[in-house]
Amino acid sequence: MATKQSFALEMKDISKSFGNTVALRNVNLKVSRGSVHGLIGQNGAGKSTLMKILSGLYSHDTYEGLTFVDGKEVKLKSALDAQAVGIAIVPQEITVADTLSVADNLLLPALNEGRSKLYRASANLEKAKLVLKDFDIALDASALAATLTLVQKQILMIARALSLNPEVLVLDEPTSSLTGDEIENLFGVVHSLRERGIATVFITHKMDEILTLCDFVSILRDGEVVFEGERSVFDADILVSKMIGRNLGDLYPQKNKMELKSDVVFEVENLHVPDPKRRGKALLEPFSFELRRGEILGIGGLVGSGRTEILKTIFGEYRKLGGKIRSGGNEVTVQNIQDAIGNGIGYLTEDRKVEGLFFNLRVKQNFSASVLHLLSRFDFLIKVLENRKVREYVEKLRVKPQDSNAPLTSLSGGNQQKVVLGKSLMTEPKILLLDEPTKGVDIASKAEIYRTMVNYAESGVSIVLVSSEFPELLAMSNRVLVFRNGKMIGEVEGKLENERDLMLMSIGGSK
Amino acid sequence: MSSALISGRSGLRNSSSRVAFLILVLGFFGLQNSAFLSSASILAVFQGLVFVGIASVFLTILITSGEFDISVGANAALSGTIAAYFVVRGDHEPWNGPSSTYNPDGEHVSPFIGLLIGALVGAVIGFINAAVVLLGKVPSFIATIGMLFAAKSLATYIPEGKPIRGYYDHGRASNPDLFNSFFVKNLSIIIFLVLLVIGHVILKRMNFGRVVAAIGSNKEAARTSGVQVAKMKAVLFVATGAGAGLAGAVSVFHFGAIYFSLGSGWELTAIAAIVLGGTSLFGGRGTIIGLIYGLFLMQSIASGMVSVGIDPWWQTVITGAIVLFTLVIERVRERFK
Repeated sequence: MATKQSFALEMKDISKSFGNTVALRNVNLKVSRGSVHGLIGQNGAGKSTLMKILSGLYSHDTYEGLTFVDGKEVKLKSALDAQAVGIAIVPQEITVADTLSVADNLLLPALNEGRSKLYRASANLEKAKLVLKDFDIALDASALAATLTLVQKQILMIARALSLNPEVLVLDEPTSSLTGDEIENLFGVVHSLRERGIATVFITHKMDEILTLCDFVSILRDGEVVFEGERSVFDADILVSKMIGRNLGDLYPQKNKMELKSDVVFEVENLHVPDPKRRGKALLEPFSFELRRGEILGIGGLVGSGRTEILKTIFGEYRKLGGKIRSGGNEVTVQNIQDAIGNGIGYLTEDRKVEGLFFNLRVKQNFSASVLHLLSRFDFLIKVLENRKVREYVEKLRVKPQDSNAPLTSLSGGNQQKVVLGKSLMTEPKILLLDEPTKGVDIASKAEIYRTMVNYAESGVSIVLVSSEFPELLAMSNRVLVFRNGKMIGEVEGKLENERDLMLMSIGGSK
Repeated sequence: MSSALISGRSGLRNSSSRVAFLILVLGFFGLQNSAFLSSASILAVFQGLVFVGIASVFLTILITSGEFDISVGANAALSGTIAAYFVVRGDHEPWNGPSSTYNPDGEHVSPFIGLLIGALVGAVIGFINAAVVLLGKVPSFIATIGMLFAAKSLATYIPEGKPIRGYYDHGRASNPDLFNSFFVKNLSIIIFLVLLVIGHVILKRMNFGRVVAAIGSNKEAARTSGVQVAKMKAVLFVATGAGAGLAGAVSVFHFGAIYFSLGSGWELTAIAAIVLGGTSLFGGRGTIIGLIYGLFLMQSIASGMVSVGIDPWWQTVITGAIVLFTLVIERVRERFK
């Protein structure tokens, strides 16, 4: 019988600095058994540092403060220590060994512990199936991990953490690559953790997730806890104002109204989008749309409905199977990315880690990479031109820090995203294709990105926007085209009130 | 069964076409020169691949973990030289010495101990590689190229560029029966076979092998599962070094002498054989069975060309072309699977 109510996890007066920068200042965190504890804060607020301390990546002698698991003090020196005392972390990045089976991935901690023992294939498979069944996770234990979708890999990572029977489970932005049903699926798993008495720390950027899922919330800002409270004492307004120190009201800027009477600048007629996985086959039935000057056109639908492929086809990364693209009334040939850029089309990738940025370079070099020819004379890069141009965009997008010589990796996720956006803006496109421009980005950076979008729209640039966040899609777009089951099924006016309609059209049928 | 079954299934599909290719190569040379397919000739092929083979076993596992060691040949030369030095010096001045001057009054180190010395020196070289790569954060490809030059130079410098002979003069004089036995005559092959079994068990039959594949496939996945990645890799670097050192000593043991050119080009033969066998150069997937195939294919081609009398200058060109051809075919097949 538990005599006194000790917390599953307690972190006490944690302070950590890097050189002169204080990352955490007297942070306290108390997580009860069987509760879901939201940990929120903007990028750079100190969440990652706190989690690295909790996961043992920062040794206990490099910071001040104490950590207790189950009321007992623990001194963590390594990830292994954290694992041993019952702390399991599911990182935000997908970390799955593709060449191994689901079962092997799932049992990797156990395999590592018993690495001097013989590998028992069938026993492992049974064990893995049991874990999956126990947590009601629908994954084929014998499948090769490489064959899983992103979502399945995310769930596999959670299952792997659960196979350790942790006291405390930390989920670091687990939904950043998931949508709709998949998020529900994940929430189901989190609910079952609560019933099992596991203490879950849930790190997220998404307001609705905190509101629906969390029993308790701690908000970090500039390395300090600025708010903590039970579900009954907080709502969206409190959370946002505590997180950013101002109100949500102006998150979405006023739309550009002038587009309604402006002329059509870009047309897509009977576009045949190819299926990148099956050569020569179409992914979607042909469709057409028009884009007016200064218009923001949303493309809605679930993940997998072909949204990214549409943008990549227009941008020439995928070769279209048929159809016409007209710019300013004239048909243009877009066979490859160079053609697209030449015709004033810019593209912002959904995946900044792989396709968007050069992580080994500085901020400046990232910005100028796509426009070097404009900054050169006789093929020599003119540093003065580069510096001037980059400074202009750093200021325009309010990139922090303002130092364009800073290594890219020193920027927060939100500021990295601004750099990706800046990269596509520097080519001075007339048509801008934005694929999830605010993915994994904190609220302040989101607001900056929205503001930039509207500024460009008002200056006459037309934007095609893909987003998994329906409120964002509706608030930013003038209208939204909805795709489902391989075809365009309709259009929704861009108003926040239409979220239910958009959702119904995207998932199909009535609920 | 899980991934063992999966990789086994695709492995089977792969291996049937691989065996077919090997038979094709053997058949081609056999038709040109029937002596090529005699048992003596096949045995010679096998003997020819043993030394580089011994150096390749743990290298395969290291590559599976996503690291690289290009210094195995130079390591073999240096380790073999040092092993030979200790075994021979009781009889005569190690270099400059005649081929056979047994000195019964000398302080003798057994040729078998020589094998241990070779493995030990190799392990030290592996340890240095591990330290440079894991502590110095130097990519293993570059770090071990450095080691290649250093070890190679030392192996040339120490014996002043001269051969060391008379490795088992002492052993043969003191125990002639043992040194004429089947066991000693075929020791190199026996060691190779034992290492192959050990390597296969580690990689496919022990949890250790899964952890190694996990490291090579996704280091972070391994790290978040509590794997001490650097420690594991250090062990593999040391084992690879020991294997290379042993290979050098086994070569001296087999031939009774060592010359500094021993091990030249081993790294390339070994890596080509490993990759031909289906081990991923980027880590995450490794196979010892495939290594055997790769070694056998490389050696069959080399020996076959000798047996049909192809100009030696052309032999390496043809070997290179065949390696590139098979690799391209495998990559293309992988992509369309």
